[in-house]
Amino acid sequence: MSVEMTESPRPPAWRKVAGLAVLALLGALVGGTFAQLTDGRFDGWEDEANALLGLVLVCLAVVSAVVVARRPASVPKDCGLLQVAVLGLAGAMLLIPVFAPETWPSGGVFGAVMGLLLVQSVANLLLWRRSDELVRRVTAESGALAFWVLQAALFVYAVAERVGLVETISGWGLLAVMMAVYLIASSIAAWRRGLG
Amino acid sequence: MLNRLKVLRAERDWSQADLAARLGVSRQTVNAIETGKYDPSLPLAFKIGRVFALPIESIFLEQETA
Repeated sequence: MSVEMTESPRPPAWRKVAGLAVLALLGALVGGTFAQLTDGRFDGWEDEANALLGLVLVCLAVVSAVVVARRPASVPKDCGLLQVAVLGLAGAMLLIPVFAPETWPSGGVFGAVMGLLLVQSVANLLLWRRSDELVRRVTAESGALAFWVLQAALFVYAVAERVGLVETISGWGLLAVMMAVYLIASSIAAWRRGLG
Repeated sequence: MLNRLKVLRAERDWSQADLAARLGVSRQTVNAIETGKYDPSLPLAFKIGRVFALPIESIFLEQETA
């Protein structure tokens, strides 16, 4: 069949490689700067892990915002903007409890994070309602995969902790593990459906 | 599930974005269906049939299992 199609041409390989190189360089710069600024400020691996995840989520929000801004005007932007908001708020909610207690009272930090949680929950709900069925499927599959991994991991950890083989992990540490597993699960689910 | 979406789209000179707009889904969803990474829901499959004015079974073909 020789039918002319109005498909936009695929970008050449060198542009993909150059894009990845630029992103790698930016990642190294952001990571290096963050490591220098936070050197010695963390109270245990839990703070380090949550701060790292928070940074990753904020970076994902920035990259998503650039992608949304570069889309043609004909493509609706509402879901993309909601995705940016959800990622950015999730990152802030992990970073604030690590850094804000140095200058804010505990009650104020807690209240601020709860406020962000409320806004993020509304944004997540709107994203679910406005997305098409592929995004909903990926969201559901991410949740299922993350739950399966986390409940198995929690069982293994709980037994090991009960018999005294491992030390108790704080709720803040468990949150970091949960967020990391969910990020990996959602990446796998998105990649399997061609959204990677 | 195999499908003839790409061929039908080509016959009409529609881009993925054109078809996505007609179906009310994202371009990524059309791409995922065409590449076999996602099977559409029954309501979306019916909508695809209406857009191409074809019965569903002439667009989606059951994959032979060994």
